[in-house]
Amino acid sequence: MKPLRIYSISDQALTIAFSEVISESANQHVLQLHHRLQAAPFPGFIESVPAYSSLTVYFSAQTNKEEVTTQLNKLLTEFTEDETLETGEMRKHIVPVCYEGAYGADLQVVASATGLSIQEIIEIHTGMTFRVFMIGFVPGFAYMGILPPELEMPRRQSPRLEVPAGSVAIAGRQTGIYPAAIPGGWHIIGRTPWRLFDKNAEPCSRLCAGDLVQFEAITTEAFEQLS
Amino acid sequence: MSITIVKSGIQCSIQDLGRWGYQQYGVPVGGVMDRESAITANRLCGNVDEEALLECTLHGTVITCDETITFALTGGGARATVNGCGLDYNRLIRMVAGSQLKLHPDPQGCRTYISISGGLQVTTELGSAATYLPSGIGGIAGKNPEAGQQILLKDACRMQEWGRDIVIREDGFGVGNWRAQVQPLPHVNETVLIACESGPEWDWFDADSQLRFFETPFTISNHANRMGYRLDGTLLQLKEKRELLSTAVTAGIVQVTNEGHPIILMADAQTIGGYPRIARLTSKAISLLAQCRPGVKARFSMNGFLS
Repeated sequence: MKPLRIYSISDQALTIAFSEVISESANQHVLQLHHRLQAAPFPGFIESVPAYSSLTVYFSAQTNKEEVTTQLNKLLTEFTEDETLETGEMRKHIVPVCYEGAYGADLQVVASATGLSIQEIIEIHTGMTFRVFMIGFVPGFAYMGILPPELEMPRRQSPRLEVPAGSVAIAGRQTGIYPAAIPGGWHIIGRTPWRLFDKNAEPCSRLCAGDLVQFEAITTEAFEQLS
Repeated sequence: MSITIVKSGIQCSIQDLGRWGYQQYGVPVGGVMDRESAITANRLCGNVDEEALLECTLHGTVITCDETITFALTGGGARATVNGCGLDYNRLIRMVAGSQLKLHPDPQGCRTYISISGGLQVTTELGSAATYLPSGIGGIAGKNPEAGQQILLKDACRMQEWGRDIVIREDGFGVGNWRAQVQPLPHVNETVLIACESGPEWDWFDADSQLRFFETPFTISNHANRMGYRLDGTLLQLKEKRELLSTAVTAGIVQVTNEGHPIILMADAQTIGGYPRIARLTSKAISLLAQCRPGVKARFSMNGFLS
C-alpha cells in the first residue's frame, strides 16, 4: 500500500497517511511500519505513534527533515515490495465486562436509538473480535472497531463531565474503554474491572495498537470479585 | 541539602524536556512550556538541557534553601526578589541558607523557570520527571509541590563549585556579572506575532477564513493551560462539512473546533486529535506563546508558508 500523503505536524514530526478512513489494511500497514522503525530506527529517530490509518514519526531537533523524509521513503519502497512484514506479537485479550444495572448506563438509550434489544446489543458486542487500532485521547484509551452498522451511534449531545474508570462505551463504528474517570461523550454500555493504564507496568497501557479484543459478559457479583 | 517551597503560587510544577517514547500508549510528551527559556536556565547553571527544573506560572512562588545554592531565573511573568532585593532574570545567582526567593506580579511574560546548579533530586516516571497532572505521572508522586514541601538537591559537588566566584553581599545573595542573551518578553498590552506554517488541513478552510486567519488578531482566552490555548476572535469555517479521521497531534498544532475556534495545542497536548489543523507553529513560536497569558493578543504570521 502506497501512502496517500506525507506531511509535517511539527519541526520534529512527519505523518505518513495511508488512508482517510478507518481501514484494517491501512492500520496493518501503519503497525508494520511502526514495528519496523522500532526494530531498526534511523539516526535521530525518537518514537512513532500509530493512529487509525497514519503513522507519525518523531525525530530529534538536530536531525534534518529532508534526511528523515529520504529514510522514510526508502523504507516505504522496501515495504511495498514486501507485504508480509512482521507486525509484532499478535495478542488477544478476553476482557470481562459487566453490562448489568448502572454499569450499562446508556444501554436503554442505545436500544431505543438502534431498535435492538439490550440482549441483542450485548450479543453483538460480545460476539465479535475487535481490533485495537490505536491508543490515545488519554493514556491507555484503546480505540477499537469496527462495530457493525446496526450498532452505529452518534456521540451524546452533551458529554458527561465524568465517566467512571473502566466504562466500556461506543460511538460511531468504534468501541473503547475509559482508563480513568474523565469527561466523555461516548455511550456507556458496560464496565470492566480491568485496569487499563498503570504507569508502573511494562508496557504502561494494558492494550496496544494491533491487539485483538473480545468482550465477555460477567455478572455484577463477578465484577465486584474481580475489582 | 534541599530547597523548600514556602508558597507554591499560582502554579509551580517540576518539568524537564518531556516524556518521549510513550505517545503510542497515549501518554503526552508534556515537559516545559517554554523550551528556550528552560534550556537557557539549565545552561546558565551548568546543568544538562534535560535537567529537571521548576516552572512557575505568573507570581506567588516563594522558595528558601537550607544551604548556599546557585540558581538562575529565566522566562518571565514575575519580578523576582531575594531577601527583599530585586534581581535580574537570565543571570546566575547565589543565595545563602535561609534566604527567600519570591516571585511578585509583573505585566510581562507568563512563566518563570528556576534551575538550580546540580539539579533537583526527583524520581523519573516513564523516563521523565515532567509532571503530568491528569494522570498523576512525574513530579512529586504525580503532583505539584505544595507549601512546606522539601525538594532535595542532587549534585552537592556541582552546587559548591558552580558560581563559586560570585561575591555574596551582606543581604545574603550575589549575582553573576554576565547574562544570557534572550528574546524580549511579550507585554500584556502588545500584539504578539506568532510564526506558523500551513497545517495539514489548511486547504479544507474557505478562502475567507484563510485570509482572516492572518489578518485579524486573536485574543488568548481564559481557557489557556498547559494542554492548550483557546483563542477568541473571528470564527474559521470549512469549505464544506468534513470529518477528520483521528490522527496524531502535537504541541504547536492549531486545530479548529466545530464552532470555528482555534485551539493551539501546548506541552500537555493529547497524542491523538480529530479536529482539522489549520496551521502549525514553529518551535520558537511555541516558546513565545508559552510566555503569553490570557488577554494577550496574537496575530499569526507566515513563515515559509506554502499556499
